[in-house]
Amino acid sequence: MTTSAHMTTGAVAAPARARTAAATATVRRKQGFQHGGWFVAPFLALFVLFVIWPLLRGVYLSFTDANISGDGASFVGLDNYREALGDSAMWDALGHSAYFTLLVVPCITVLAFLLAMLAHHIERGKWLWRLCFFVPFLLPSTVAANMFQWLFTQGIGLVNETFGLDTPWLTDKSYAMLAIVIETLWWTVGFSFLLYLAALQGIPDHLYEAAKLDGANAWHRMVHITLPMLRHITGLVIALQILASLQLFDQAVVMMDFGPGPEVSTRSFVQYTLEQGFTSYRVGYASAMSIIFFVIIAVVALARMWLLRTREEGGR
Amino acid sequence: MGRPDLSRRQLLAAAGGLSVAASFGFAALGTGADALASGADTRVRYWNLFSGGDGANMITMLDAFRKAHPDIDVKDSTLQWGNPFYTKLAMAAAGNRAPDLGVMHMGRVTGFSPGRLLDPWDVDLLAKYGVREQDYNPALWKRGVIDGKLYALPLDIHVQLCFYRKDVLGKAGLLGDDGRMIPVTSTDEWFDVLKKAKAAQKKGLQTIGLWTNDQNFQWWFFVAFYTQLGGKWFNDANTEVLFDPDKATQVLEFLRRHVTDGYVIPGAPTGEQFINGAPFTWEGNWSVPVFSGAKLDYGATPLPPVFGRPATHAESHAFVLPHQAGRGGATNEGAHELAAYVVTHALQWAAGGHIPAYTPTLSTAAYKKLTPQNEYVSAMDHQATEPKVWFAGSTGVLAQDLGPVVVSSTMGSAKPDKVAQTMKSHLTKLLASKNPMDGRTAAQGGAVA
Repeated sequence: MTTSAHMTTGAVAAPARARTAAATATVRRKQGFQHGGWFVAPFLALFVLFVIWPLLRGVYLSFTDANISGDGASFVGLDNYREALGDSAMWDALGHSAYFTLLVVPCITVLAFLLAMLAHHIERGKWLWRLCFFVPFLLPSTVAANMFQWLFTQGIGLVNETFGLDTPWLTDKSYAMLAIVIETLWWTVGFSFLLYLAALQGIPDHLYEAAKLDGANAWHRMVHITLPMLRHITGLVIALQILASLQLFDQAVVMMDFGPGPEVSTRSFVQYTLEQGFTSYRVGYASAMSIIFFVIIAVVALARMWLLRTREEGGR
Repeated sequence: MGRPDLSRRQLLAAAGGLSVAASFGFAALGTGADALASGADTRVRYWNLFSGGDGANMITMLDAFRKAHPDIDVKDSTLQWGNPFYTKLAMAAAGNRAPDLGVMHMGRVTGFSPGRLLDPWDVDLLAKYGVREQDYNPALWKRGVIDGKLYALPLDIHVQLCFYRKDVLGKAGLLGDDGRMIPVTSTDEWFDVLKKAKAAQKKGLQTIGLWTNDQNFQWWFFVAFYTQLGGKWFNDANTEVLFDPDKATQVLEFLRRHVTDGYVIPGAPTGEQFINGAPFTWEGNWSVPVFSGAKLDYGATPLPPVFGRPATHAESHAFVLPHQAGRGGATNEGAHELAAYVVTHALQWAAGGHIPAYTPTLSTAAYKKLTPQNEYVSAMDHQATEPKVWFAGSTGVLAQDLGPVVVSSTMGSAKPDKVAQTMKSHLTKLLASKNPMDGRTAAQGGAVA
């Protein structure tokens, strides 16, 4: 009886205890959210105000013929999208952004890796190399672009002068994008360089020591230890570079004196969108193009994630 | 020392509160406190796009106005020129936060939705302050009139000029007895002049600066020479494209020939090369202060009339009244008075190279003494302007669409005759398209003077 009574109380008590514990956890979670929520709130408010709201507003505007003054817009359905898909200037601009990305991403990845190896292995004046490679990244884009505009100017520029060339870097369509790519490499390689350098420093020394004992030469150590250990960072660098390069705008605009480049050869998608919105005052149309671009970038980002995941799963 | 009872938290709160209060305080200062502080009864807010030498000139003129009119406080703001300026002006007018007075390029006025984003001038009030229609070049005045009302009060015209160095041209025997460049009346003569100048110039420099890679300049030059050929854009009702590809081809081939014959280094800085000894450069008249400041022995004529009749591309800065729901009263009158003052005291403005729009200024002895301004003042009488449609005007849709196309011909990546056809199809498309500001096409756009 006692036992059964005890058992009964016990049977009753256990769920009660569990309930209490669950309730405490809920309270804790709630308190946690309340406290954490306050910390996140400023960011969340700004994020909603400056990212989510404009995005929704952009989607809405893309279905209207809104102009810059913001009033008198009427709903036009999919007209803007239909027009954009048939707009050869838009496709050209998209092509320029893609071309730029194709040129920049492999170059910057390889260059950042090589510079990081150099700065990691060099013994004397380590800090100087790191500083030299990283400092350009701290410059505002306009400053960097203006410097290279000077360097590349035909007739007076340092580049032609130094190499004894007479190349029309900024005024010929076969060179203009190349000039922007070179500027971008110099200006932004520091960021990827830093990622690689940190990752290199994170590879445990004993791996190399063991490999040496096994008779692996420098090349083997590089191919079988360094590169595999850096795989994740390489993936990150490539992803970040693709997303950044697709959004090419400021350096091209400054180096081309706010024009579309020689024979419209450097006008990026972002620049064309801006022109539609703020020169032609077609806010609805520009919004539709922004949404199209948003989708393109999202697809690229998702595709990369998916590729990486299948590769990792396949590897394991 | 200090207050022992003030905790860190209280201190932070107090500092935060102060900074918030201060920011409100400064905001308030910007909206009216300064007008009260100056003791003036009326406050005129004035937006302009003048920087550099023009900006300094404008500020001098405003200071003179302030001295002469202590009852009016002028609050001027200089914004970056080009599209950023027009975007801000349009949004301010649409949001009913428009300034009392603004500046625009004349060509942009038609596209700026007169009646909705712009208010018309009260011509009687302008006359009261000394500005009447008869004081203007009739063609220029008419450009500011839309649906019978004056929406833009011209301050100046600015043109592209043929700057030449007298030292080099003298050596080449290309100066007349009056010390000015010998007249040119055909393309052959013009290229002959270039050939002689090239022989006399310093080596390593181009013979003429032509902004071959700049979409705005190339477009302006095209407009000038196309007008010299008597080329038309549209019919009067803006329903039909009258653009003549044959004439356009002639102009494009002319521009291109400067490159193929080796008189231009594409992309070379034009003004700098001129200062260093290049015999010619085609530049805006706003370069006058630069070249005069460099103490060059130079002259400046309108673009050479190589196709027979003279015509030089011209744009104008003009005063406008951005739309205000309750426009009127002393502030509105103050805006009229200020604009009239600047227009009628434009000698200062002329020093910056611009041709004053107010013709009595042109006949003053002081203006006639200005060199090289007195050499190109005739450009006033043969202005080549863009068509009066909503998509025209400085850095507008038309220039944005056609400028790069002209560049591609001048630089040689596209054939002139093909480019002329492209231009025609662009014009056809633009003529049929609606002004995003009011949903009307050029034909419906009320541009009738």
